[in-house]
Amino acid sequence: MYHLKRINYLILILLSLFITGKVNALVNLTDKFYINDYANILSSETEDYIYEKSVNLEKIDGTQIVVVTVKNLEGKSIEDYSLELARIYEIGSKEKNNGLLLLLALEEREFRVEVGTGLEGILPDGKTGRFQDKYIIPYLKENSFDEGIKNGYNAFYNEIVEMNHLDLEIAEVNQKQEPLYKLEWLIFSGFIGFFVGMYSGILKFKKIPIIYFATILTFICFLPNSFSIYFIINIAAFIFAFIAFGTPSIGRRGGYYGGSSYRSNSGSHSFHSGGGGSFGGGGSSRHF
Amino acid sequence: MKMKKGSIVGIIILVVIALIALSAIGSYNDLVSKKEDVDSKYSDISVQLERRADLIPNLVNTVKGYMEHEENIIDKVTKARENLVNAKTVEEKANANQELTTSINNLIAVVENYPDLKANENFINLQDELAGTENRIAVARKDYNDTVKSYNKTIKSFPKNLFASMFGFDEADYFEAKESSNEVPNVSFKED
Repeated sequence: MYHLKRINYLILILLSLFITGKVNALVNLTDKFYINDYANILSSETEDYIYEKSVNLEKIDGTQIVVVTVKNLEGKSIEDYSLELARIYEIGSKEKNNGLLLLLALEEREFRVEVGTGLEGILPDGKTGRFQDKYIIPYLKENSFDEGIKNGYNAFYNEIVEMNHLDLEIAEVNQKQEPLYKLEWLIFSGFIGFFVGMYSGILKFKKIPIIYFATILTFICFLPNSFSIYFIINIAAFIFAFIAFGTPSIGRRGGYYGGSSYRSNSGSHSFHSGGGGSFGGGGSSRHF
Repeated sequence: MKMKKGSIVGIIILVVIALIALSAIGSYNDLVSKKEDVDSKYSDISVQLERRADLIPNLVNTVKGYMEHEENIIDKVTKARENLVNAKTVEEKANANQELTTSINNLIAVVENYPDLKANENFINLQDELAGTENRIAVARKDYNDTVKSYNKTIKSFPKNLFASMFGFDEADYFEAKESSNEVPNVSFKED
């Protein structure tokens, strides 16, 4: 019977993962997060180079520079594709919105620089266009993708470091204060868990009459309608976890509200992800 | 200890009243929050529209030097900009924005014939800024319309529609240009 509960738990978690983890017709960012060469045009040296630099840059003030190459844009415009990707992964820190996405679409031969709202000051649209013209596009035109992207990456990296006066020596121990559980989520599921626990006989408070349970439920039904079906499924998963294991130890990032995806991570602490940065549509595009 | 029937009924009534009050509070707060989202996103659009309007004088000055015989097209851009600046309601702004887009596109198309202008650094910078602003407007418009959709849905849904009219929450307008602004104006021939 204990094993059965475990399976229920796993099934629910998996189910909810698939449902909430949807990214429609966009590529998923890889575990490396900062470098995603789906078009297979970058050398592994360049990939490692970009990855290392981005990881270190993020430690300083949360700035995230992400490079993505795709085979094609699946029918979308590069502006739509790039914005959606940047927003789903919330590139950049929540406090500073300092995300930057460099996107190359191979088939369409288009390149776009997508600038997070916090970087718009030092990277206005005109400047990103100039940078593309100077550091990236001439190489891409000759199909020297590796060189063009690395060159462009460096240009933006240096500009950000210089204009924001970032000290590369100091890697701030910037522990993100982002809680694994959003507070309301926790309270709500705590409620449900408590009452379910009570009525399945696991908790000891058997004497509270059902009228109180019904009252709370009615109250909850009239709360602001910000919960989606996915949320409920995850709550159900949480309940099973509560019953089966006490306190579950899964790590999850927020992002249910608005349909963004998340990537669950079973225990390992070295994965990278977006910091909650926002995008308003700034940047520039070029055809090569 | 016996509970009188009267007190049980009393308690139930109190509970019902409390529930209604709680749901009213919940509804009101939700409506307020959603209306705030709508207003906030609307001001985002306004900011971007203003930014776009601000770029136009520079654009006009840059191209005037090169495109001496294209006053007609340039004037249309200036006029469209004026309309945008003077627009007040959501609908007016959406239409004026659309008109400005059309006039700028016509201008850019003509620039193709002037390679010197096309290569001008200032012009290239302006083009990027314009394209960037147009993209931001598109994004802000989409974000705004999403909040409007959510807000309007809430206003119309039960039981919040009851509280909405009570508290004075009205439907919000979508930011979209009327189809007719793309129509070719009718030319009427008077009969003599």
